[in-house]
Parts: sequence; C-alpha cells; structure tokens
Amino acid sequence: MRKRILVLVAAAFVLAAFAQAAGVTLDVKEHILKNGMKILMIPKAGVPRVVCHIYFQVGSINERPGITGSAHVHEHLMFKGTEVMGVTDYAKDSEIDRKVDALMDRIYREKYWKTDGDAAKIAAWQKEFEELAAAEKAFIIKDDLWTRYMSNGGTGLNASTSQETTGYYVTLPSNKVELQMFLESDRLMNARFREFYSEKDVIMEERRLSENRPGYLFGEQVNAAFYAASPYHWEVIGWMDDLKKMTKEDLVDFHNRYYVPNNAVAIYVGDFDPATIIAMAEKYFGRIPKGPDLEPIRTGEPSQYSEKRLYGEGPAATSLQMMFHMPPDGHADTAALSILASTLGSGGGGFRGGRGGGGGTGRLYKTLVRDKQLAVSASASSRPQWYVGTFQFSATPRVDKGVKPEDLEKEIWAEVEKVKKEGLTEEEIQKAKNKGEAAFIRGLASTAGLASRVGRAELKRGWRSILTDLDDLRKVTNEDVKRVAAKYFVKDNSLTAIYTRKSGR
Amino acid sequence: MKRTVIAILAIAFVCVGLGLGQAKHPSELKYPSLKFEPPDPKAFRVVYAGGLRAYVQEDRSLPLFNITAIVNCGGLYAPKEKAGLDTVLGDQLIKGGTKTREGTAIEERIDFLGGSLNFNVGERISTLTLSVLTKDLDEGLALFFDVLMDPVFREEPLKLAKARFVEQLRQANDQPDGVLSREYEKLLYGDNALTWQPTKASYEGITTADLKAFHAKYFSPKNAILAVSGDFAKADLKAKIDKFAAGWKGTAVAFPALPKGFPAAEPGVYFIQKAINQGYINLGHLGIEDTNPDFFAVQVMNFILGGGSFTSRITTKVRSDEGLSYNQGSRFTTRWGFPGTFSGYVQTKSSTVGYAVSLILAEFNRIRTEPVSDAEMETAVNYFLESFADAFQSAQATMSSFANLEMTGKPLDYYKTFRTKIQAVTKARVQEVATKYVHPDQAAIMIVGDFEPCNKGGDKWAGPLDKLGKVHRINLIDPMTGEEIKNP
Repeated sequence: MRKRILVLVAAAFVLAAFAQAAGVTLDVKEHILKNGMKILMIPKAGVPRVVCHIYFQVGSINERPGITGSAHVHEHLMFKGTEVMGVTDYAKDSEIDRKVDALMDRIYREKYWKTDGDAAKIAAWQKEFEELAAAEKAFIIKDDLWTRYMSNGGTGLNASTSQETTGYYVTLPSNKVELQMFLESDRLMNARFREFYSEKDVIMEERRLSENRPGYLFGEQVNAAFYAASPYHWEVIGWMDDLKKMTKEDLVDFHNRYYVPNNAVAIYVGDFDPATIIAMAEKYFGRIPKGPDLEPIRTGEPSQYSEKRLYGEGPAATSLQMMFHMPPDGHADTAALSILASTLGSGGGGFRGGRGGGGGTGRLYKTLVRDKQLAVSASASSRPQWYVGTFQFSATPRVDKGVKPEDLEKEIWAEVEKVKKEGLTEEEIQKAKNKGEAAFIRGLASTAGLASRVGRAELKRGWRSILTDLDDLRKVTNEDVKRVAAKYFVKDNSLTAIYTRKSGR
Repeated sequence: MKRTVIAILAIAFVCVGLGLGQAKHPSELKYPSLKFEPPDPKAFRVVYAGGLRAYVQEDRSLPLFNITAIVNCGGLYAPKEKAGLDTVLGDQLIKGGTKTREGTAIEERIDFLGGSLNFNVGERISTLTLSVLTKDLDEGLALFFDVLMDPVFREEPLKLAKARFVEQLRQANDQPDGVLSREYEKLLYGDNALTWQPTKASYEGITTADLKAFHAKYFSPKNAILAVSGDFAKADLKAKIDKFAAGWKGTAVAFPALPKGFPAAEPGVYFIQKAINQGYINLGHLGIEDTNPDFFAVQVMNFILGGGSFTSRITTKVRSDEGLSYNQGSRFTTRWGFPGTFSGYVQTKSSTVGYAVSLILAEFNRIRTEPVSDAEMETAVNYFLESFADAFQSAQATMSSFANLEMTGKPLDYYKTFRTKIQAVTKARVQEVATKYVHPDQAAIMIVGDFEPCNKGGDKWAGPLDKLGKVHRINLIDPMTGEEIKNP
C-alpha cells in the first residue's frame, strides 16, 4: 500500500512539470490489469464512436535471420480465426489442420532442406495438400472476425506491423466496444492460424507489390547496408526466402512469446465512460494469464569507422540519399536533431514518416531548389526510432541542367558545415519549436491519430514521453544544434546512396 | 481515499451490470441502444458579406481554427494546350504571392506560426485550407483571404515551378499503378478534358497571364463556399470575415462546356508492357453518376461484390481462397457531373493474371444472375447504418461535407435521408442494379505487366490472354512530348 502511495506522489509531481501548449495538455486515464496489460483511455464527448486500438511491443526487430517478416505474417494470421471464430466445428477442423501441417512439413523438408528434392514426391504431396485444404473449407467461416466487426459498424478496420510495434484497429459505435474486447481477447488467447499456406502466398504478393515500386529494391539494399548488425537491417515485409520457408510452428512460437498481456496496450479514444471500459477490460483481457517478461533487443549498431557508399541504377528517378546514424528516442540529442531536420529539410519527400518537412521554407529548398536551381526537391528528416536512429538527407537533381547527385552531395555537405560553425538563426529555432507545439495541439484533435501516438509511446517509454519530448524541444539552444551537427554529421558515420535512372525501362 | 472507494464500488457495480458469465460467441453479446441523428446543415449555414456562403461550427475543445474555401474551379476548365494549368495553379496560388506579400513571406510566416496553408486543385473543385492556433486567428485569416482574393502570380516562382513540373514528367511512367489508372481512364473516357495530360510544351506555355485570368474567372464570392470550425464565437467571426468578404468582387462565372457522350471502349484485353513481376489490372466500363436514383442500391451491391473489403465476394475468392493477391475488389468511382467508372481490380504475379481476371469476371456474372444471400445483405446494410456516425467525427470535415453538398447541388437532407435509402435496398434491387450496371461482356480488361509470362498463364488458367478477348497492345506515351513511344 505504501509503495502505491509513493508512486502516486511521484506521478503527481511529474504531472505538475508536464508540458502544456497554449494551455492544453494531454490527459490519459490509465488502468493496469493484474496480468500487466495496460488500458489507456482518452474520453472525448461528441459523436458516439470509439476508436479501439491494441498495440503489442513486437515488430520486425524481434525477428532473426530465417524468420524475417514473421511479425507481419503473424499479424495477417491473427485474422484467420480462433477456437470460436472462423470455424463451424473446431474439433473436425483441427484434425484436418494437423494433417495439413504434417504434410507441409514433409513438402518443406523435401523442397528446402535438400538440394535435389524429389519433384514427383512433392507434386503428389502438393495434390494431397490441395485436397485437404478443400476439405477444410467446409469448416471454415471466411473472415468471420472482419464480417462481425463490419456488420456492427466497424470502420478503420485494419492492422499494421512496423519495426517496433504491431497494432490492431477498429472504430465502433460507442455501445459496441464490448465486441472489440471479446474479439481481441479471444484472438490473443486462442488464435489458430488456419489457411497459413495460402496467406503466405498473399504476403508474397504484397512483397512483389513493393518490389514493383521503382527504387524499392535499391532502398532495401541501402537500408540493409546502413544497419549492418541491428535488426533494423531487414524490411518489415522480410526476405522472400524466409517468407517461402517459414513454418506454422515458427509463427506459433512467435505468438506464444510476444502475444502476452504484459506486452500489450489497449487504448480507447472517443465517447465513453472510463469506468465501463475498465470493467469490460477486467472481464475480457483480465482473464488472460500473464506471460514471461520480455528482454529488450540485444544488438545495437556498432560504429562504422569508415564511410559507406552505395551505387545503383534502375527504373526510378535519379536521386541522392545521405544517411547518418543518430541516437534513439529519449536521448538528449534527439530534440536538437529534430530541430535541424525541421529547419534544413523541406520541399518534397521526407523519409518514412520521419520528422522534418516545412513547406518551401527549409534551408535546403531555398538554397538548392529555389536559388541555385540544382534540385527538383531536397529534404531532411530525423527518425530516432526505439533503438537506433537515422538522420537522412534526400534530394533529386535537375537532370535537365546536367546536375549529378554528387553535385548535390557537395552542396548538402556545405550546408552541414555551415551549421556546424554557425548553427541556426534564433528565428529558425523558434519556428521549429512553434511547429512542434502546434503539431502537438493539432494531434489532440484527431481520434485515431491520437490513439496511435499515445498507444505506441506507452509501449516503450510511456505515453508521458510525448509531453517530455515537447519540453525537451523547447530547451534546445543554438549551442546544442552546433554540437549535434559536429557530432553526427561526419563521414565515418554516414552512408551515401546514389541512384541513377537506367534508360530503356 | 474516499473517492477511490467510490470509484471501486462503481466499477464493481458496472461489472455486475455487464453480467458475470463470459459470452462464448460474439452473437451472444447484447448492446445498449444507441441513437444518433446527423447534424442539420441548415443549422450551420451562414451568409457573409457579398453573398459568400459558409458552413460554420464552433468547437471550443482545442485552441485551433480551421477554414477551407471550396471553389468551383478545376483542371477540367483548362484548355488542352494548357494541360497542367491546374497543377501549376495549385503550386502558384501561394508561392506566386499577393499584391502586398511575396509568396515566400507568406510561407515563412505560416510556418513560423506552426500553421498550415494548403491549396489543392481538383477536377472541378479547388480547396484552400488554413489551420492555425486560435491566438493567430486574425493574422491567419488575413493571409487566407489575401491568397484567396489577391494572388498576383509573380514571374520568378512560376519559372521555377514549370521547370520542376517538367522534370517530374520524367517519372510519369514509373509507377505501374499510376500508368494503369491514367490509361484506363483514357480508354473509358476518350480524348477530352477528363484525360488530357500535361507535356513539356503545355507546361512551358503556361504564363502568369493564364493563371491570373483563370483565377479571376473562377474565384468569386458567388462561386465559393467556406467551411469553418474551431475556437471562436460565431458572431465575432462573422464580423471579421465580413470585412474581407465585402471587398471581394467577382463576376458571374460562365463555365466551359463539359465533355459528354463517351463512346464505349471495345471489350477485350488492353496490354501495356512493363518489365515487372506482377500484372496490375483494372477491368470494367463506365459506371454511374452519384445523383442516379439507383446510387444507394449500387453501393450495397458493390459492397457485396467487391467493395466491402474482406466481407466481399471478390476478396474472399481471389485473396482468401486462392492466395492470388494482396489488393483486389471492385469499385464505382463518382465524379461531379459525369458517370464514374466501374472496375474490378487486382494485382497478381504474372502467371496468375489470367486466372485472377477469370475469377473476377465470374463474380461479375454471379451477382447478376443469382440473388445475394440474406447474410450478405445484412452485413452490407448494417455496415452502412452502423458506421454512419463516422462521417461526423470532425467538425471541420462535417462542415466541408455540407459545403460540398451545396456546391455540387445535392439536397441538403442527403445525410438525413441516407440511412432510410440504404434500408430501402432489397435483395431484388441488388440483383436489378447488378444486371443494369455490371456488364462483364462489355468489360475492357487493362493489364500493365510483362506480356510473355502473363500471356503464358499457369496451372489453373493457361493462356493465351486472347481467351479473355481480343488483345490490344498499347504503347505508352512519352510524357515529355505526349507522343506514343513506338519502340519501348
């Protein structure tokens, strides 16, 4: 009891120090279940809808070579039924499903373990598999969870996997939140990955869609070269080899390890009474046993000690990328780097939702696009991430004027050196701070956006980090800017990627 | 401490209210009743000085101010030799500056305030949107009306914009999905303002005089409607906006004749070569206008056919059963004043292109010839009814929806009657509109992909593609010149 009071006092103290912008702050109601699952609530009176998201602290960085892509494959499989959903007769279905898995195990061994597997055997087993899959269809209720949500007015229905997190989303009428509690707790406890093999085909199609985006394959190599050791090395979609060879057992192991209540945060934003949400959460999520504690990622990114350069060509626009390692979220230097990205970068692009941008007002836009007319676009972004961060410059040259990516590289280095010496102007720093504050307030206006931001933040550093990050931003000085520029913008910490459009495609 | 006890008691009480037994299946869940009536547009309609119409909602929850001007102006009104005028206008309304401010000064100031000012030009609707903190309302409003009413389109920023847009033309054929949607529309609508594409020459021919004339012609108080929401008192805001609006002069707008009469494309396969490992496919024909009395029945029908995500037939068959694709479905697009398109769509590996198309065509046929099931009907209708309130989650989006209703001449009771119209749709009506608006025998099947492997097919559907109809090979257009690329 005493311990609890101490925590409360500490919390009150921290709260008093919290950031406000224009007199508003972020207020999140919290409830922690006995099994460690966190329930967050942001009541917003108005339209009778509730955004219901659930986030797990698991993503592609929790994978290893051999099962890359499995966090995302698993997310797909979470829609493939449980013991009660998606099935008419669970016992009969399981019997077939076990046979299917045993057969596929034989096929995979013949196909992937041997270099000279017996094609005739594989074909015969494949035929047998197709017969079993057809027989199983009699017991499968297609996309039952999806139908159940939609017929109850579920919108924004989706799920997504990133390097660090996996989220499951639905927005429901405010009288039907219990449906989400039922279905999400059910699939957390009782997920049964039916139709695993055809779903892998779907995901390979998803990967092909990426491959057919001009420049994607080069970008994948650039990312892999930039992160040599850290598990940010591979893309969330995973390598095609792993997608092909991944087994259902891999996914069951993955589920049992990471899909435990103590690794999850559920967040509700909208028109509801918190007491009702808490009661329902106790009833549905509270029945799930706590899982073992989870260890954070072990492998960081070692220092490069030498510059990396990558050249590629293909069917996309000629472009330049310059990437620098930077520290992760919560580090003392991230706020200054974010102000640098905001001030330098703009005019197009940005990098995977990283921070940056700024209309046509960034230094790089003004210098390279507008005044010297060397680039079609030039931007900068900072992306700290959970474990290892990236600061990136991107630019597209004016091919019509014979400008080469290497020319832009020199120009960007010149801008960087200027910052190292002089820093930014007071006005630029204030502008970046104003933008940060306004973005914070604007973020409070959304429902789904707020759920996503708060829910994800809670997983790693706690939702209050949104407020402390804002405070950190306000404290940045020009000395900080000069210091971080000198520290991180050095060749031995960088990768430069130059891509040239190959003619004839 | 006492408060905690009360809270715990309250929780215990609610627990009892929810029932102690666990439901074994979601069908056992009982929900409290919920009533929702949509807001009435009339309650928000305001007319400012000079007859400038607006939909305005006070929303004091956060210190924010949002305003959008919706103007009846778009790319469709630009002549062919000026194709791209819409893109350039979209860039230059702000960047070109006003009588009293340089474009960069406007951008700098908005950025310094942490606000945003964006201009977008669509087919027939342009929108200028400002969002600032309440403390900057006056300054923001002044910038907003300055840009809206008095842009001057300076030479230097225009020169730069044209050079950048010409450079971007190089990328026009890069993305397979971009190529597909552009060429599909060209096939269905033919050669007119709906499908004209900018070229190097058309961009270079655009002058500040063109932009000024285009702006002067369409930007007038009678041809615009505002959508406004945020932290203000309506009366105060009226006084402020009236001051600006009173000075906004404009003449009655004479709109150019719009394209009409679109000859049907010859059914068959239209193939565009690209060395990729999937085929990107659209198949269909022209659809309906959203003013069509059958519109609501078509919504329900298409939800079941391929619009209702995982509950729809095409997704179930092509993705879930066969594992052929990640994206698939069907859609009826709508555009103001014209029929939209109807299409099935899918992207699948080259060897299963023919098979996926055959499955989608089979679903087109099935929905015409067999009644849909009660369960399908229930899911579709309930989805539209139960998710209806979603459209009103944001005050600004709601005001914009109302302004758009008025702009496009739709009845103001559109939302009020929406659910009744959905409820009136029956299984018989679904089949009736499927027969009327889905025509697999008239479908143009457009594929962007690698011809040889697509044509060869695979185990479940062996090629060649002409089994699906006469194969037309389409050459891409060089985006710089607008000329066909003969030897890609």
